[in-house]
Amino acid sequence: MILPGFLYFVIFKYLPMGGLIISFQDYQPYLGIADSPWVGFKHFIRLFTEPTFFMLLSNTLILFALNIVIFFPMPIILALMLNEVRHRYFKNAIQTIIYIPHFMSWVIIVSITYVFLTVDGGVINEMLAALGFQKISFLTSPEWLRTMYMAQIIWKELGWSTIIYLAAITVVDTQLYEAAEMDGAGRLRKTWHVTLPAIRPVIITLLILKIGTTLDLGFEHMYLLLNSLNREVAEIFDTYIYTAGLKNGQLSFSTAVGLFKGLVGLVLIMMANKLAKKFGEDGVY
Amino acid sequence: MRKSQMIAIKKVAAVVVSSAIILTACGGENASSGVYDANSKAEISWLNILHTASPPTDTVLNKLEEKTNSDITFSWIPDASKEERINTALASDSLADIVTLTLLDNSSVRNALKSGMFWEVEPYLKDYPNLAKIPPETIKSASIGGKLYGVPFQKDLARNGVTLRKDWLDKLGLEVPKTTDELMEVAKAFTEKDPDGNGVDDTTGFVDRNDLVYGAFKTLSSYFGTPNNWQVSEDGKMTPEFMTEGYMKTMNYMKDLYDKGYINKDFAVTAKTDQQQKFAQGKAGIYVGALFDSKNLLNMSKGVQDKMELVMANDITSTGNESDRAIWAANNGIGGLLSFPRSEVKDEAELKRILKFVNDLLDEDSYALMTYGIKGTHYTVDDKDAATITNTDLWQQEVQPFAASRPKESGFKIHDADPLKQMADKMIADNANYAVLNPAYALESETYNTQGSELQKMITDATYKYILGEIDANGFNQAIESWKSAGGSSIISEYEASYKATQS
Repeated sequence: MILPGFLYFVIFKYLPMGGLIISFQDYQPYLGIADSPWVGFKHFIRLFTEPTFFMLLSNTLILFALNIVIFFPMPIILALMLNEVRHRYFKNAIQTIIYIPHFMSWVIIVSITYVFLTVDGGVINEMLAALGFQKISFLTSPEWLRTMYMAQIIWKELGWSTIIYLAAITVVDTQLYEAAEMDGAGRLRKTWHVTLPAIRPVIITLLILKIGTTLDLGFEHMYLLLNSLNREVAEIFDTYIYTAGLKNGQLSFSTAVGLFKGLVGLVLIMMANKLAKKFGEDGVY
Repeated sequence: MRKSQMIAIKKVAAVVVSSAIILTACGGENASSGVYDANSKAEISWLNILHTASPPTDTVLNKLEEKTNSDITFSWIPDASKEERINTALASDSLADIVTLTLLDNSSVRNALKSGMFWEVEPYLKDYPNLAKIPPETIKSASIGGKLYGVPFQKDLARNGVTLRKDWLDKLGLEVPKTTDELMEVAKAFTEKDPDGNGVDDTTGFVDRNDLVYGAFKTLSSYFGTPNNWQVSEDGKMTPEFMTEGYMKTMNYMKDLYDKGYINKDFAVTAKTDQQQKFAQGKAGIYVGALFDSKNLLNMSKGVQDKMELVMANDITSTGNESDRAIWAANNGIGGLLSFPRSEVKDEAELKRILKFVNDLLDEDSYALMTYGIKGTHYTVDDKDAATITNTDLWQQEVQPFAASRPKESGFKIHDADPLKQMADKMIADNANYAVLNPAYALESETYNTQGSELQKMITDATYKYILGEIDANGFNQAIESWKSAGGSSIISEYEASYKATQS
């Protein structure tokens, strides 16, 4: 029974990893892997010595930190709040509504943002102007990029991310609540002392998984937001791999960047896992 | 590295390589061979670029197949994603008999061409009447390292200029501008004097897009005497355009436009379609771009701005002297190559049959088919060979997508009856006399090939920042310095060496 799954991983996950070899070559398609010249760490050296490297690294890490610190707790809070809604139909309705943005593509979301935020007649800027404020060029200011990025992620993914926590909450043993009530706990206390500890393993697991995909910040999303004026904060590994690698055809170089990104992710997930175990949790492996 | 590891890696590599071979073998090899027979029906697959939203229907294609005695299968690549799609196609060797390569300065395209992946065609051209007529300068510009790896698309040398709202000019009593100062005056008047007379301050002079090349910037920079990408001095010293005085003047001009509000504020993030929409909706009165866009702009404005009248200008200078007229030439008039990969076109016989097909595409009849469509269905033509499109919607669906596939786009008897288009064609022909070529187009630089576009980003970003007032001249010079140290200096010296090699 395990064979189909095993084959899937071998064919689609492990064999392609062999392609990483080209990051140590000057890979030329018509020569193939066999005949392309070996160049050692040339592409890695280029990556680490290029002035863009620290920009890429810091942009990527800052956005990652924002994702973990700001976005990660939000669905937990939302799930706890939804759990307190006693009216079943009302709760279901809210759940359904907050899932909807998840199904929209980034292109649509970013386009909507553009229409709202543009200086040339965008709704928000017209409102600011009407209220006597200066217009703000949200789309081209480096200062607004991260706010915009996070706001879009929250709008799109918040509802969807609550699903798993809501599911975890439903399996909490009701006897625990009854016992807590006997001890005189109010709703807030019950949430704090019963619900939250009960879903803690789920939270930890999801946090580790989230850290594992650290540097995948969403290529499409950022690529759509990126322009000449906010590049210093918006260029991340994902967009750089695309422009330097695919668009300019430097396959070896972009593979090297991708490999580096993957290694950072691996190190982070191992650290997080270790930390989780230290605090007595299960970790993911 | 330990020996066992080494062996493991070798094993993995072997599996990867062999599976790659299996995959390419499955990729449908055409088992066509045999002798070249000019009258045989040719089976042609064509990896082509699509500039419209959807591919054409078969109506025109059938006629074209009839005309060229062939069976054409197109694989369309949308223009917006051509870089990655072409690169992937080259990387995976999933090509077709004919591959449209438009980005000759893209490093992987260049490497692929130089590697001998494609047939070299120059020796064959003389055998075909239309191909033999390709001018030697065109062949020289389209060659890489002196070798021609495909049939060049022959484009007009320089097609850019300024399109203005004539009705607005008339209303405000202004003349068509001749100098950049006058253009500034027009921009000011269009912004401040309510040219549409609706009593609301809702117009700007320029409407531009997020493109320093095909948008306003590069064309304006020609008016200020900026070289086209590179300038080469008599003793062979190369200077990039952004280190010249003209470039600085252009930036200052754009900065002025921006500061005073004579241009749409968000031009740095405006897409081409939005730019054209804004113009068609009467939000602005000056459009800089290809001169033939004027016809489209007018068509788009139907029903929204029915009073719109347009006038074009191609003779603007910063000094007012006729002798200073200049306009940059896009890719020195080369629109790319129709190239024939050796993996698909197996032998000389097949190559010859395909070259005959390309030769047939260059005929007047093929041109008419790919430009106007089928006579009676899409257009009518009068006794002076002036064609009028009768069904625009149908034409857009069935004919327009072919426009980018024409190997040559001017010099035919049949012409557009639309006065604006005729005017544009005349001005574009006129532009050729003042065209500024890029002296580095056929030169080689390894650093440019690998890092050129990353480096160019530094300059592009700095240019926008200067125009928007985020950095000053000092900041811009710093950007140039970092460009130099990040590899720009090597590009300069490599180009100089390459230039010297071609001169001797």
